[in-house]
Amino acid sequence: MNYRDIGPWARGIVPLLVVAMAACGPKPAPVTPRAAADSAAAAARRDSLAAAARRDSLAAQARRDSLAAAARADSLARAAREAARADSLRAEVRRNELEAARIGAWGLNRADSTQLATMIHFAFDRSDLDATATGILDQKLRLLQQNAALRIQIAGHCDERGSDEYNLALGERRAAAAKRYLVEHGVAKGRISIISYGEERPLDRDHTEEAWAANRRAEFVVVTDTKR
Amino acid sequence: MSTPRDGDRSRARARPRQGLPRGAPLLAVAALALAGTAGAARAQDTIPPGGVRVGITYTPGTRPALAVVGAASAAADSVRAILQQDLDFSDQFEVLTPSGAPATAAAPPDYRIYRALGADLAVTVVAGLSGAVSVDLHDVRRGALLRHATVEGTGEQRRWAVHRAADDIVREVTGRPGSAATRLLFVKDGGIWRVDADGHGLTQIPVAGGPALSPAWSPDGRTMAYTAFVRSGQPVVIQDLATGERDIVPTTEDGLNITPEFSRDGTRLAFARATEDGTDVYVYDVARHCCVTRLTVGRFSDNLSPTWSPDGSRLAFISTRAGTPQLYWMDADGGNPDVAARFDFGATGPTNGPAWSPDGLSIAFHRDVAGTPQLFVLDVGTRVIRQLTGSGRNEDPTWAPDGRHVCFVSTRSGARQLWVLDVTTGRVRQLVSFGGARLPAWSPRLPSP
Repeated sequence: MNYRDIGPWARGIVPLLVVAMAACGPKPAPVTPRAAADSAAAAARRDSLAAAARRDSLAAQARRDSLAAAARADSLARAAREAARADSLRAEVRRNELEAARIGAWGLNRADSTQLATMIHFAFDRSDLDATATGILDQKLRLLQQNAALRIQIAGHCDERGSDEYNLALGERRAAAAKRYLVEHGVAKGRISIISYGEERPLDRDHTEEAWAANRRAEFVVVTDTKR
Repeated sequence: MSTPRDGDRSRARARPRQGLPRGAPLLAVAALALAGTAGAARAQDTIPPGGVRVGITYTPGTRPALAVVGAASAAADSVRAILQQDLDFSDQFEVLTPSGAPATAAAPPDYRIYRALGADLAVTVVAGLSGAVSVDLHDVRRGALLRHATVEGTGEQRRWAVHRAADDIVREVTGRPGSAATRLLFVKDGGIWRVDADGHGLTQIPVAGGPALSPAWSPDGRTMAYTAFVRSGQPVVIQDLATGERDIVPTTEDGLNITPEFSRDGTRLAFARATEDGTDVYVYDVARHCCVTRLTVGRFSDNLSPTWSPDGSRLAFISTRAGTPQLYWMDADGGNPDVAARFDFGATGPTNGPAWSPDGLSIAFHRDVAGTPQLFVLDVGTRVIRQLTGSGRNEDPTWAPDGRHVCFVSTRSGARQLWVLDVTTGRVRQLVSFGGARLPAWSPRLPSP
């Protein structure tokens, strides 16, 4: 059967049916250029938003990491400072003990030897004696008065800050301040000699406040005869 | 939007380009600039100021361009390398280093090549027979030879001859010799070391006793004074650098004696002695080996680090008489002490390490700024104080004989090292690469190594 055999009504309806079916089918997306650009822009926006979100989360992670690293470094530094402080204290105690052992030969017991060898410390760029220093010097005073044969040398030291040459004079001032205190309290001048090493003989070679405080000191050594 | 047809394109090609080529404005500016500077140089040549110097003069603020060219031989090239560095370190020239234009031995140089490079001066280094190397200074603009020198010898002598040739070139052009033929003494690890001004030739010098500090050159470069730590005390020792022979300055055999400084004529040595009652400046008569005189008075203050004026009539020094160490000066007999670098009590940081410049016009020193020492220079005439450094700790300046370079200790690179600063241009270079160097002292011009 062919198209000509269908009646005239059917011939009219078929095109109508075709158009109807075409109209009712799923509409394809509009293909105008403007709409295409819009959807591409939307896709690009979505991409960039995603990328920004990724960058933000990476940055946040990096910040958290660096904060954690800084906290770790801080605690490590604190631990190192504690260790350094313990080191310099140990060095000082060792030095005191050695000196005490050496002067034990003068007939002093261990406690007395330690007292005589104990160092005094100073504030930065100062040579005046604080209460702790005078307390330590009072103990030495007692021993020097009890043992008239004892002669000592006081050595002044500085921390590494400040002019190298000026620190020699400052060390001398510190030793002189300790000597003046002892002389003013009755010890004969001829029994005490002083010397300065400036910053040349640090107890602790570190570059921290603790090391510098340990280095600002006067040391006391028993000697067989005095020069100055 | 229509695509061009073939016919359109060929029509476009056939039309000639209108207007100036693209780079024309730039070339015009360059040509004008060159014409401008060429005109200025001609003006300088025809109106010499003061009639003092022969050859190129230059206005302050600009430096002549100097090309250093060596012939292609190992001997000439090693000389050229040292010479070029010395001339660069003098900070008096724009040193040009043209490649591929070697000088030939016999023919006079083709000055057109140097003019094209933009050089005002040229130094040619050519090896002759028997190992001698000629160093010739040419005035490129006039196309004439200014100065001829020959470098001979081997090893250290040869190196020193190159340094002297560089200093002579600087004097020929500027009227004042350079500082290439000089050395520095400094302290490292408690010992005293010596190094050439270009960083070469590092040598330790044996000293008396334990740590040695504060080396100071005698004006003839033959002896040095320093503080030695020996069993009996800390004396000032004067030691012959060639023979090692040592003399202790009288009255310094015991006690703490520091910061020695020779006067410029070598007849006197100033130093400081620290005692229980304070530190004071003394002067020793070197020529007559006697007569140690105390210059500063007063008790319980520290007076140290004396430095002589070049004519020997005054001494600048550090004093704590006002509470903190500050810069003072006085007559050579101790009279008329006065504040040199003004300070605000309680506000200005401690001052130390003064050094009077060789021309007498400035005193360099270091002063704490926010707890960190920085280099300053005091103009002796106007009393104006200028800060020279800003980063790291910078201290203990010492002047080169040319009066414009200062060597000092800086921690700007992390460790304590010696650096050299040109006070006129501000250029800074590192002198040594190891750490722990302190208390440098710059020698006078040394005729031989």
